[in-house]
Amino acid sequence: MPRSLYFFSIGLVFTVSLAACRPTHSDQPSGYLVAAIESYPLQLDPRYATDANGVRIGNLIYNSLLRADSQSRLRPELAESLRLLDDRTYAVDLRQDVKFQNGQVLTAADVKFTYESILDPNNRSPKRGNLKPLRAIDQTGPYQLRFHLSAPHSPFIEQLTLGIVPANSRSNLAVPTQAPPGSGPFMLEAADPGEQITLRRNPHYWEQQPPLAGVIFRIIPDALVRVLEFKKGNIDLMQNDIEPDMVPWLEKNTGADVGAYPGTTFQYIGINLTHPILKNVQVRRALAYAIDRESLVTHLLKGIGTVAGGVLSPLNWAYEENVEHWPYDPERAKQLLDEAGFPDPDGDGPLPRFRLSFKTTNIDLRRRVAEAIKEQLQKVGIELDVRSYEWAAFYSDIKKGSFHLYSLAWVGILDPDILFQIFHSSSFPPAGDNRGHYSNPELDRLLEQGRATNNQQERKQIYARAQKLLARDLPYVPLWWWKNVIVKKPIVQNFTPYPDGEMISLKQTRWAANGQ
Amino acid sequence: MKRYLLYRLALLLPTLFGVLTLVFLFIHLTPGDPVDIMLGETASAADRQELRQILGLNQPLAQQYRSFLINFLRGDLGRSLYEGRTVAAMVTERYPATLELALCAMSAALLISFPLAIWSAVRRGRWTDRATLMFSLLGLSMPNFWLGPLVMIIFSIQLGWLPVSGRGGADHLVLPALTLGLGMTALLIRILRTNLLRVMGEDYVQTARAKGLSERSVWLKHTLRNALLSLVTIASLQFGSLLAGSLITETIFSWPGIGRLTMQAIEMRDYPLVQGCVLMISLSYVFLNFITDLIYKWVDPRITYGN
Amino acid sequence: MATRLWLYAGAALLLLLTSAALFAPLVSPYNPLQQNLEQDLITHSAQHLLGTDKLGRDMLSRIIFGARISLLVGASTVALSLLIGVGVGSLSGYVGGIADLLFMRLIDILMAFPGILLAIAFSAVLGPGLDHVILALALIGWTGYARLVRGEILSLRERDFISAARALGCRPQRIIVLHLLPNLLPPLLIQATFGLAAAIVAEGSLSFLGLGVSPPTPSWGSMLNEGRQFLLVAPHLTTYPGIALMLTVFALNLVGDALQDRLGNRSR
Repeated sequence: MPRSLYFFSIGLVFTVSLAACRPTHSDQPSGYLVAAIESYPLQLDPRYATDANGVRIGNLIYNSLLRADSQSRLRPELAESLRLLDDRTYAVDLRQDVKFQNGQVLTAADVKFTYESILDPNNRSPKRGNLKPLRAIDQTGPYQLRFHLSAPHSPFIEQLTLGIVPANSRSNLAVPTQAPPGSGPFMLEAADPGEQITLRRNPHYWEQQPPLAGVIFRIIPDALVRVLEFKKGNIDLMQNDIEPDMVPWLEKNTGADVGAYPGTTFQYIGINLTHPILKNVQVRRALAYAIDRESLVTHLLKGIGTVAGGVLSPLNWAYEENVEHWPYDPERAKQLLDEAGFPDPDGDGPLPRFRLSFKTTNIDLRRRVAEAIKEQLQKVGIELDVRSYEWAAFYSDIKKGSFHLYSLAWVGILDPDILFQIFHSSSFPPAGDNRGHYSNPELDRLLEQGRATNNQQERKQIYARAQKLLARDLPYVPLWWWKNVIVKKPIVQNFTPYPDGEMISLKQTRWAANGQ
Repeated sequence: MKRYLLYRLALLLPTLFGVLTLVFLFIHLTPGDPVDIMLGETASAADRQELRQILGLNQPLAQQYRSFLINFLRGDLGRSLYEGRTVAAMVTERYPATLELALCAMSAALLISFPLAIWSAVRRGRWTDRATLMFSLLGLSMPNFWLGPLVMIIFSIQLGWLPVSGRGGADHLVLPALTLGLGMTALLIRILRTNLLRVMGEDYVQTARAKGLSERSVWLKHTLRNALLSLVTIASLQFGSLLAGSLITETIFSWPGIGRLTMQAIEMRDYPLVQGCVLMISLSYVFLNFITDLIYKWVDPRITYGN
Repeated sequence: MATRLWLYAGAALLLLLTSAALFAPLVSPYNPLQQNLEQDLITHSAQHLLGTDKLGRDMLSRIIFGARISLLVGASTVALSLLIGVGVGSLSGYVGGIADLLFMRLIDILMAFPGILLAIAFSAVLGPGLDHVILALALIGWTGYARLVRGEILSLRERDFISAARALGCRPQRIIVLHLLPNLLPPLLIQATFGLAAAIVAEGSLSFLGLGVSPPTPSWGSMLNEGRQFLLVAPHLTTYPGIALMLTVFALNLVGDALQDRLGNRSR
């Protein structure tokens, strides 16, 4: 016994001393704002970042030619001017007062490099597909360049929101490096994998200096734990991914400043139009009538959403309000189903008209919504088989078109050309994301016209017609637009919520005068 | 001793090979495609095909398995599909956090269970015994994902004694280690108590007692010695479930260890990273049990090997 | 005497739980799936003794129906694990040689691989569903029984009565079934009671990973998981299923302990 006890105590001493050597969290530099996020960003380099946190933090480190403002309008950032020379050539003049965080001046060569680096297949950038319309970039002066497209393609302008890195930055996937320096308001100070990302104010920043000394993004995967950490006072700011019922609790128990602001994230039910029942438009309209979105938003979302009438959000410049709406009307739904040839075999009895499967991700709230929708559809005689999957398995099924109904969201949509990728008949998988195989020659024509037109007013009219068509045909049943929930300590001031969940306004966020 | 060592090492090889195979099959047969997740929505079919080729995912599974094995023998675990860093670097960076948590949980489990089990066995059938058993049942019936937030709310929010989550000084270890270790504590108490009772009833202990040895030395020389040996074996066998439990516990306690990394890698279908993480977890278990076996053999040379 | 009392108490509790599960439609006050979004998160009321969950479903009814699912998952998992475990274990222990070596390596490998990951993989491959949950849990749960059976057989086969049977020319199957299994029963029974409790809890962990039973089917594990985010605003969502789970584990262990005290030592 003594010998084994001896080993055991060595192990114990070893463990405890191991823990004691580590620094504690309390030595956080003051003046740094602590924000909680759900997962560690996979990439900060704007040429590679596709995960939400990687993109959002990256946007604090890097500048782009254009940037969406808090009203989702594209505004010049690095670009001083942007002109269309002909229907397929953009001329850009850059600001001349911008420096990277390493002191180097940002010139047209850096912009050209960034775009070409993405286009180089060897660099394996996930954003290469977005730049397909781009034929060439010419540098016409130290601060001037031109983008040549192979055909008129108005949505290309959205690609000018790409973060710019210094020329000759190494490509991340080929040779892993730290994220290259940017020219944004903050710079990377430290990255502790799985733990936190620390940004520091960029002393060379060309706009007004950010009032905050820096921002610490703490990784806290569990939503409840984020709330507890906030209650404990360790978090200054958090955004979204919160259980709706926790919002009133936070207001009451922590003195937090809580607000819900209109957002662009669009939640919908996707429909497989190759399914013999679902290809009938009457059935899809019945589905839309049978779902009580108002009740779902009130009770399950606690108002953190706005019932959606169409696919594009009201914050989008191309939003068309005047489309057909499908208010909750179970009687009308039953009638449509009867007319479509799917009578209820036993009236209000247990036998359904037909059965469908409904796939969703396994996030608690999503699953709860699916359960409530199942109950609502049951009332009109449609039996739903709710199946919840872990994300990767769900996504792969959806991509393959293996579903009847599923629910998912569009995040960060700026240009209405998204409709091309989702509803054009040339976008059937694997070419695009028309997973339900919706096909309508009239819509195809509109969407082709929309992307080839450069005049925004004309485009608005084209997309208005497209939205009307979609609202009638219902290849998607719109559910709601999510609101962005901001929870912050009252001493955090000047944080402006962005509809797409961007946190770029951290650059003007400051502590209240009597605060830290 | 040397022969025993060789014998054990020889047995290790098929286990290692099996673990490698299982790790490979596990992630490759799980539905979900990293290329889809990596390239996002806008990539063309050609882009996908190209990336698949670069990553070697278009090769037949047997071929991929072979290169995985060959690379492993060369000490190359590959690079993360998303971050581009070597898996070896990412895993070693996160491993200490997990080791710290798991060892602490195990130590706590041993420290709590040993005296409680003895107490329980000595006062068998009395209310202290029952209370101990009840406590151990609590441990067996509370899943970590519920226990974790519960102790956070009690000890950190209401009593304000300890930090909520994250890694830091020793105070950060208490709650996650307790959460992770409670199940093991419960199990150890039960097994140890049963063992003690069994040993106490066995002939040689009775003989020792009859020989007039004091109760104290009977306990020290025979009963405890035996119990401790079995405790070490059981604890090392249970170390596997402790490491598995860290997958959930680390997620809840925002603990930057390999368990959390594994979960994230699985979510993203980051094949090389998943393989690296799971290998590390499995190999620590195999290694620990190997060492335990050797210690056991050293402490108690009567143990024979093979059949 | 005291031991027997505990055994009776445990058995009575188990009987109660099982009958609640069996006669769930008769004893539960409401349909456990019936939603009422306006009546959500009620703590308790005259209509809803244990309150309602986020979708306004009656908690008491869900817990009663949850007993069905949870006990079914537990029992089926243990039965399936036993089937595989006893098969492999007795083959390994009785036949020995290459078969033994191979099976023991397989068990070593499975034990080294984090069980929860195997369950994730199985669930992902098989898709969601109650039967798949059971299958996944059994596929990681059988190793313990196999080791137990093998160990017992190794020690039993050297005993006189087995050697005698063998000398008399009994066929191996006959020896296993007639002579070895009856002796194996007590330790297996004891392990099974603990295994049942463990399987019920493990289903909860799968729920946490989003891989448990499909919604809206209630199981205690999935209820615990669904209620977790409401710990601060509606703790009753987790407390009641938690208590149900603890009571079951408690009852099972009382029976297991009593069996161990009565049978465990005698068989040696």
